[in-house]
Amino acid sequence: MITAEGLVKRYGAKTAVNDISFTVRPGQVTGFLGPNGAGKSTTMRMIVGLDRPSAGRVTVNGKPYAAHRAPLHEVGALLDAKAVHTGRSAYNHLLAMAATHGIGASRVREVIELTGLESVARKRVGGFSLGMGQRLGIAAAMLGDPATLILDEPVNGLDPEGVLWVRQFVRHLASEGRTIFLSSHLMSEMALTADHLIVLGRGEIIADAPVADIIAGGTRPRVLVRSPHSSQLADLLAAPEVAVIRSEAGVLEVTGVAAAGIGDLAAQHGLAIHELTPLSASLEEAYMALTADAVEYRTEAVR
Amino acid sequence: MTTITPPLAHPSQRARSTSLSFGGVLRSEWIKLRSLRSTTWSYLIVIAISLGMALMMSLSMASGMNGGADASGMPAADQLTLVVQSSVFGVYFGQLVAGVLGVLVISGEYTTGMIRSTLTAVPKRLPALAAKGVVLFVATFIVGLIANLGAFLVSSMAFAGIGVTASIAEPAVFLPLLGGALYLALVAVFALGVGTMIRSSAGGIAAVLGLLLLLPMVLQMIPAEWAHDLVPYLLPNAGMNMFTSTTAEPTADGFGVWLNLLIVLGWMGASIAGAAVLLKRRDA
Repeated sequence: MITAEGLVKRYGAKTAVNDISFTVRPGQVTGFLGPNGAGKSTTMRMIVGLDRPSAGRVTVNGKPYAAHRAPLHEVGALLDAKAVHTGRSAYNHLLAMAATHGIGASRVREVIELTGLESVARKRVGGFSLGMGQRLGIAAAMLGDPATLILDEPVNGLDPEGVLWVRQFVRHLASEGRTIFLSSHLMSEMALTADHLIVLGRGEIIADAPVADIIAGGTRPRVLVRSPHSSQLADLLAAPEVAVIRSEAGVLEVTGVAAAGIGDLAAQHGLAIHELTPLSASLEEAYMALTADAVEYRTEAVR
Repeated sequence: MTTITPPLAHPSQRARSTSLSFGGVLRSEWIKLRSLRSTTWSYLIVIAISLGMALMMSLSMASGMNGGADASGMPAADQLTLVVQSSVFGVYFGQLVAGVLGVLVISGEYTTGMIRSTLTAVPKRLPALAAKGVVLFVATFIVGLIANLGAFLVSSMAFAGIGVTASIAEPAVFLPLLGGALYLALVAVFALGVGTMIRSSAGGIAAVLGLLLLLPMVLQMIPAEWAHDLVPYLLPNAGMNMFTSTTAEPTADGFGVWLNLLIVLGWMGASIAGAAVLLKRRDA
């Protein structure tokens, strides 16, 4: 369980995180989503005490991270795939991390096996690919068999097999009752992995809800209509709460009326319809709609 | 996706037999120190420099004296001084290597990002710095001692050729050998503090080498009395005088062993105190 209350982080005049409060609950995967520069990594660093909040507080299982007697048993964190000395072997890195808490070499071998690093464990980390670095970071996070895991962009740089592995791994950990807090900029990945989403934009929370609610609430359902009488149909549909977009000749995208309503209307006026498809919103679209005003570094559309 | 049902056993309720302890952090820092090549190289260089310098010094002093003729008639105290001087000559160069190593022990963590792993495991931070200091001090002292003892053996053999001998059982022999090793260890810890404050390998090494090499020269070049008065208080000057002083108490010629040791400890203390304050206060 992670609880943030009125968390603020300022760097000089710039506010990276602006008064956010949230709770990450055990037994589910909580996704942390937001555009680059939204403050996700800063928030995660504040949870484990690497950055000091300018105001507010954040606790893990009721206490500030640093106040725990065995922090690595409370929280495992992957904040930066390459938070490892490049001149040291993966095995020695894990051994040194484990030693702080009196965790033995047998657990080190366990997490190496768990993350599939057996063949490279004795090699120096400097030669690791990004994917191997991610696996090493996850191995380090698992050393203390923690009740809470914080993973910042864990699938970054992983191949499809690795992405699938992380997805199944975190789902399995959540099913064991652990608290999983996972950030990603891949919305599709979040849709498959997370149960709950906290969406951050410009340092503020713009959504904190179950994934299904965000998908449902983020955009209104649309219906795609293909008809040789599209302009007549568009005139008939016109109403204050209805939006009609002519995307190409003979095709309409209608918001505000259900597919059945459009079909009935067309039948009443004897207009032929060639296609009538309800479009369900994706998390991607919901996310874009949510963050449209909160993108830090916007790409100007090419005209 | 539906709400997950409450799990069978919450992981945080499992029995855990281990926890964060200073002994554990010490062990961790020892694993870190010994698992890097830069450590091995630095320590081998310290030993090689000591042996090489001792050999060069003793051979040139032996052949320079009476053209290499027998000098066993020389007063015993002078014989001791000759052997000791050549034995600890390498410390002057060894301090540069110890300083570089001290910086790298922490700056290597900042440049690679390792520091975030370290401070996540030891979130109170100061125990990590203290453990680094202790491990570095002990390892450097032992290596320094091996280097100085080796240098003493090399010098003794070279001087034996002209009949000059010194017994290691004499305090005037073993105390400087111990003192030289102590100084190397203190320089390494001083540099650890500088590296922690500066957080970059290049900057930290430049600062430490500047203090050890450049500052004494610069002060000596300034044509003012205050500059000359300051020189004995500098880290390398007090450090070298700490184990080459012939007296324990201050005299007209110098500060003596204890005052010089105090000055060196002051440099180290200031550096570590500054490092502790900044490490605790800054974001990692």
